Amino acid sequence: MESRSNYWLVAPSALVFVALFIAPMAFFVVLSFWQVEYFELSTEPTLANYRDVFVNYWRVMGFTVAVATATALLTTFLGFVFSFLARFRAGQWAQALLFIVLITLFGGYLMKIYAWKTILGNEGVLNSALMAMGIISSPITSLLYSPQAVVLTLMHFSLPFAVLPIYASMRGISDAEVEAARDLGAGRWPILSTVIVPRCQSGIVAGFSFVFLMVGGDYVTPLLVGGKITMIGNLIAPQFGAQFNWPLGAAMSLVMLLAAVAIIYLFRFLVALGSRP
Amino acid sequence: MNTRSNIIWGIIAFAFIVFLLSPIVLLVIFSFTSRSLTNFPIEGLSLRWWQEMVATRQFWPALANSLIIGVCVAVVSAVVGTLAAMGLAAMPKRRASIIMGLLTLPVMLPPLVLGVALLSFYVSIDLKLGLTTVILSHVLFAQPFVILIVHARMISFDPRVVESARDLGATPLQAFFTVTLPIIQPVVIGAALVAAALSIDDFIITFFTIGTGNTLPTLVWGMIRTGLTPAVNAIGTLILLLTIGSTIIALQLTRYRG
Repeated sequence: MESRSNYWLVAPSALVFVALFIAPMAFFVVLSFWQVEYFELSTEPTLANYRDVFVNYWRVMGFTVAVATATALLTTFLGFVFSFLARFRAGQWAQALLFIVLITLFGGYLMKIYAWKTILGNEGVLNSALMAMGIISSPITSLLYSPQAVVLTLMHFSLPFAVLPIYASMRGISDAEVEAARDLGAGRWPILSTVIVPRCQSGIVAGFSFVFLMVGGDYVTPLLVGGKITMIGNLIAPQFGAQFNWPLGAAMSLVMLLAAVAIIYLFRFLVALGSRP
Repeated sequence: MNTRSNIIWGIIAFAFIVFLLSPIVLLVIFSFTSRSLTNFPIEGLSLRWWQEMVATRQFWPALANSLIIGVCVAVVSAVVGTLAAMGLAAMPKRRASIIMGLLTLPVMLPPLVLGVALLSFYVSIDLKLGLTTVILSHVLFAQPFVILIVHARMISFDPRVVESARDLGATPLQAFFTVTLPIIQPVVIGAALVAAALSIDDFIITFFTIGTGNTLPTLVWGMIRTGLTPAVNAIGTLILLLTIGSTIIALQLTRYRG
């Protein structure tokens, strides 16, 4: 009796989840097999949208996966370094470092991207500061509207999502374990590769997954700092606006999600392989 | 040796802090400049962009929408999420973590995919797009955060205090309102503030599910797309003030550290 009431307590949350997540996602999958004819949805099942994605949009899809992989690898690495710093090197400053990460996590997704646009522009903060200091005489024009600008911006807003799971798993490592390894004669790198990294596996994979999914579906960053750079999100978004081709947009989204899941599983496999004793 | 490595780690820490915070700090600084170009050298400080912000016709409805949505999302997800966290805390650990994993799935999805899936779903079931659809969508991705935060508090909660209230004749509801709620109240309020921050900050899902009308982020988006004015920096600073402000209070209340 008592235990059944626990399930009733979860019921409202579960209702939200089923009505607003399971149902829309199920509809979304069905939608991807429909087509638009003369601005009307035709419910005749077809694979045409998926064919379209693989025939006409594989380049953008591949580029998106490449950008997302690069960003997720770099961000996960930085997240690991930051977590290591906070857990083992910062002492009493650890709280302050985490505080900064939590603040940047919850504040200003759109504003962060916009801020990078103002920083990297030809007449932007970085160029004007460097020119004012006399380090350069004319603006560096390649800062903005480049793949590097896109990756940098994506890394900036996704870093907290890598730090939090990695730091959480690093907190589970006691100082005693590290000291024991040191007492047994392990140097700095062996301790890192045989003690710390294996213990952080789940955090590292979680961080990578978070970053990859968020970055793979982003379309605001390429629009604001990428110039002519197109990621799959930039093709998905207009399908639900001006282009009005929901089924194609749904198929693009689902292919992107499947690619993300595949890359995440590959990454998880490689991390497990790399941290075997 | 040791001091040298300390210096190196100090430099790394400094670089991280600059990388994470400088875009946000610059945004705030440039909302107070007098020129219309966002670059150096800064020639003077003024409130002119803040004045332009409050004089912008679309600003007030957008602010009102953001606040209405934020408050509704905070209240609904705090109630729904706290109930779920209490139920989960009393369940076997393994089952609770599976259910929590499921409920967290919407957060894992790219916001764009969630946004367009919700948009097509709402339209297909003839739900009119507006503030209600935005609130529903925000509750979906805010409730996992509430559940995680409140659940973390509930598992360290001593169930015996509730049992003793029940032994003394309190009904389950009385026990909840006189014993459980006063103890977990700060954490619930903190979680509600996190939900509000997430809601006020959200751009992508709002953009697809609002139909017509604006919140602060969608207004900023429109302004960025049509031309840069530092008034954008003022609105951005206001968004940051709302989201970071509530996050800081939430962190104090929940003592949540990662």
